[in-house]
Amino acid sequence: MNCPLYIRSVPTQGELKFHYTVHTSLDVVEEKISGVGKALADQRELYLGLLYPTEDYKVYGYVTNSKVKFVIVVDSSNTSLRDNEIRSMFRKLHNSFTDVMCNPFYNPGDPIQSKAFDSIVSTMMVQAC
Amino acid sequence: MAQCVQSVQEFIQDSFVPMVAVLCSEDAERVTRKNNLSFPELLRPFCRLTSEGHLRDPNNQVVVVKGLRISVTGINTRPPQSPELHRLLSQAVSVCQPPEGSPANVITAGDYDLNISATTPWFETYRENFLQSMPASEHEFLNHYLACMLVVSSREAVPTEQFLKLSQEQHRIQHSGEYTHPKWFIPNTLKYYVLLHDISEGDEQRADSVYEDMKQRYGTQGCYLLKINSRSGSTGADEQMPDPWSQYLHKTSIHNPELYEEYAVSNAVENNIGAEEDGLDPSIRDGVSETPPLQLDHPTDAGYPGNDASQSVNNVDETRPQKQASGTSHTSPTPRGTCLTLNDHDHIRQFIQEFTFRGFLPHIEKNIRQLNDQLVSRKGLSRSLFSATKKLFGGGKVPEKSIAELKNTAGLLYPSEAPELQIRKMADLCFLVQHYELAYNCYHTAKKDFLSDQAMLYAAGALEMAAVAAFLQSGAPRPYPAHYMDTAIQTYRDVCKNMLLAERCCLLSAEILKSQVKFSDAATLLIKMTSEDSDLRSALLLEQAAHCFINMRSPMVRKFAFHMILAGHRFSKAGQKRHALRCYSQALQVYKGKGWTLAEDHINFTIGRQSFTLRQPENAVAAFRHILINDSKQSAGQQAAFLREYLYVYKSMSQLSGDGSLPQLPLPCLHSSQTRVFFGHERRLAEGEKQAATHVSLEQEFDRDLSQLWRELEERVVSVANRGTVPITFQPSQCCLNSQTDNLRYPLAVVEEPIIVEVVFRNPLKVPLALSALSLLWKFTLKGFSDPQGGATGETVSNEKEVRLLIVSRLFVPEARLKLLPHKTGELHVLGVVYNLGTGEVGNSEGDLVCVRGQQNLEIQGPRLNMTKEEKTSVGYGPDRRLDPIITPPMPLLELFTLQEIN
Repeated sequence: MNCPLYIRSVPTQGELKFHYTVHTSLDVVEEKISGVGKALADQRELYLGLLYPTEDYKVYGYVTNSKVKFVIVVDSSNTSLRDNEIRSMFRKLHNSFTDVMCNPFYNPGDPIQSKAFDSIVSTMMVQAC
Repeated sequence: MAQCVQSVQEFIQDSFVPMVAVLCSEDAERVTRKNNLSFPELLRPFCRLTSEGHLRDPNNQVVVVKGLRISVTGINTRPPQSPELHRLLSQAVSVCQPPEGSPANVITAGDYDLNISATTPWFETYRENFLQSMPASEHEFLNHYLACMLVVSSREAVPTEQFLKLSQEQHRIQHSGEYTHPKWFIPNTLKYYVLLHDISEGDEQRADSVYEDMKQRYGTQGCYLLKINSRSGSTGADEQMPDPWSQYLHKTSIHNPELYEEYAVSNAVENNIGAEEDGLDPSIRDGVSETPPLQLDHPTDAGYPGNDASQSVNNVDETRPQKQASGTSHTSPTPRGTCLTLNDHDHIRQFIQEFTFRGFLPHIEKNIRQLNDQLVSRKGLSRSLFSATKKLFGGGKVPEKSIAELKNTAGLLYPSEAPELQIRKMADLCFLVQHYELAYNCYHTAKKDFLSDQAMLYAAGALEMAAVAAFLQSGAPRPYPAHYMDTAIQTYRDVCKNMLLAERCCLLSAEILKSQVKFSDAATLLIKMTSEDSDLRSALLLEQAAHCFINMRSPMVRKFAFHMILAGHRFSKAGQKRHALRCYSQALQVYKGKGWTLAEDHINFTIGRQSFTLRQPENAVAAFRHILINDSKQSAGQQAAFLREYLYVYKSMSQLSGDGSLPQLPLPCLHSSQTRVFFGHERRLAEGEKQAATHVSLEQEFDRDLSQLWRELEERVVSVANRGTVPITFQPSQCCLNSQTDNLRYPLAVVEEPIIVEVVFRNPLKVPLALSALSLLWKFTLKGFSDPQGGATGETVSNEKEVRLLIVSRLFVPEARLKLLPHKTGELHVLGVVYNLGTGEVGNSEGDLVCVRGQQNLEIQGPRLNMTKEEKTSVGYGPDRRLDPIITPPMPLLELFTLQEIN
């Protein structure tokens, strides 16, 4: 529960800071999930939108039906990434994650070491940069 | 925010208390000095009134004043300047640590169980000291002096003259314009005449007659006869006397920075003198050793002959014994108030009561009325006139200049007696006597006035107090206007650049929001207030913000942890190591074991460092150990740094603790189950030497078929020797044991024949490790197999072979072969390995290598039991006796000898 399955950051310096940011954002994710549950607005909407903006970064969240959380942190100055782009990134990520889960040798809860997943993430990061 | 001892209302009331100055004659000061206290200090424990006071507001409504506290300070007391203030605050915070073994407060949030201190006394101490040391500002009057006590001793030759002198002095201080400090509330300050009578030495009748005279002169409500010092000196000092001053002791030093500095200086001087005395005249010291060299209770008696002629000389002399007295009273737990009986305490209490109810509150009441009258008349006439003219000229009261000044309105705009300030004065007075409704209305009006004048500092002050007054109104007719506070903070910070005021405002508002369960708002406010200019403040506020997050209805555990880390970081920057360590430790509870390895490593590393600097090497080693044992995701360079730090800390700890049993080392990992044991001499391949007649050696891989073959052969030989039957106890001899052999029985080894143990290491780090002086650790119990040697002394087993140096890197997995040679029969248990661990960096010379000695245990788990049903359903493991050989008496050993010339 809330252990990181997969973390990747580019560039790698300052990685610690991103880990802290992502971990802290989980609080907001949980708040949003519980809020959605109460309002029963749209159970099928998995995208949570902007969790919170910091000075330098924007943090977006996404939760699968099995409560696996995806968090994307992007540079605030990156204006090419609108809400829609982020949404499609999450969808792609979710598809790839589903493939990982389909692997019979993958034990749910273990860190993800799939090469396919890795390459999807890499291509997304290259596009985003 | 953490829980506080005080309620919000109490806290705010105590933050703004009416101020009373004290002007003491020298003689009077001397009387109180007998108790190691100055006059204001003497009064301090009694300054909270226990009974209710009453006064009438301008509308003739009775206002009840409950639990009023007044602040009595010396007239020369000056709030500490900025660097001094910083030092005092950080001192106060570092002194205040969480009590050991305080009741643990466990908060369960989701799947987290957090052990958090519910209260944060260091923050409260900080806040209290901070608020008390706010410098008096021009734009508000809350901490300006409202009254002045003039204190004269009854021993004075002509007390009335002395009173006159003091009164003139006060007038000079207030009106001559020479002094920027202290600040006064109203031009005609209340003067209260106090005749201090020392019962133990003065003439009581004379004091009474002087008092009668005073009553004639100043009226019964303007003077008081205070009788103290019923007990002369420390003679027959009653140990049971309560010491109400003790809890104010620390505050005193904060409150009187001059005194505090004096203390430091005089202490140094005193020590010097003491040292000189010691060096010069030991004999004299011995002579007077029956009485302590410094009679604390009578330092004044000797120095004061009491004649007026030598007054000027006296002035110089006077200070020294006093300083010494105060100095020692700080350093040693000298009882204060030794000359006071409980009766005297009551006298002082009565005196404060009398002063407040008869002198002080009526004075305030009168002033409120006066101000109100002024305001009403102004409202009727000038207000309309002013606004009319304002409209006419389109500018305001400060024409021409105003446009230029509009941009720079952060500063002071009005002279101290300006009519615009009268309403603020009235508001402050009402606030101090707890008439919050009227205060709120006045603040509100003042705020509008100031805003229309663009006097931002004044407006912010009025906004702040309006919000506080609104909150304090009983019955809460209006909700707490949080936006007032936000505007005030913003104005203080951005427009006026006055961080002190912004901080005060923030502290008040956060406390109020907390009491209204608006933790989220409080946290935002606190976080906004953190900045680069003060690490201590930022750290404390961040910590409070973290507490806000955890106290929310759905606790935000991770935000709590994150802000705790930020707070810890700022604490360590501010030099508050203990607080930093506590913050990090609390945050670690959230990050621990959740797979956030980088964060966890970072926290553990910081905890390790802080623990080490705080001389808690055990904790430091434990923290560093955590970083190294888990499969670390750090880069090689980072790992090398961690390893070096660990070795360094470890080394200094082992130096400290001396040698007991060697501590366990975490690195490198031992593959216990891959351990191989070989009984017998090593194979000597050189020609012409005798060899044990066996095919087995450590060089070979284990071959099941081959060993089966030999086993059958051996069985057959045995059966032939036993005439066709194999004894039940038959056990095939196994020279080499490994994970695949049958290790259920204790293997046999022979005296004076070596036992070779091969251990296998694995290095989880990306940097190489160097092991040196590797040897086995064993235990031996003597057991005679009809021992022919008897109880011969000597070494039972000797470590024959040590491995000098072994570099273990991630790819290269070496095994180490260690040899034992038993000299006696008995049972041997190989327990583990002992070695020096160092960094395996190439290029370091041998001497530079930081290495530490420690051990690791070899514990081999046997095969999983899988025979019976119970064993199949449960998880159990059988024994493995590879490392527990029985040493038997000498046995024949078949050796062979190959000759070259066969062909």
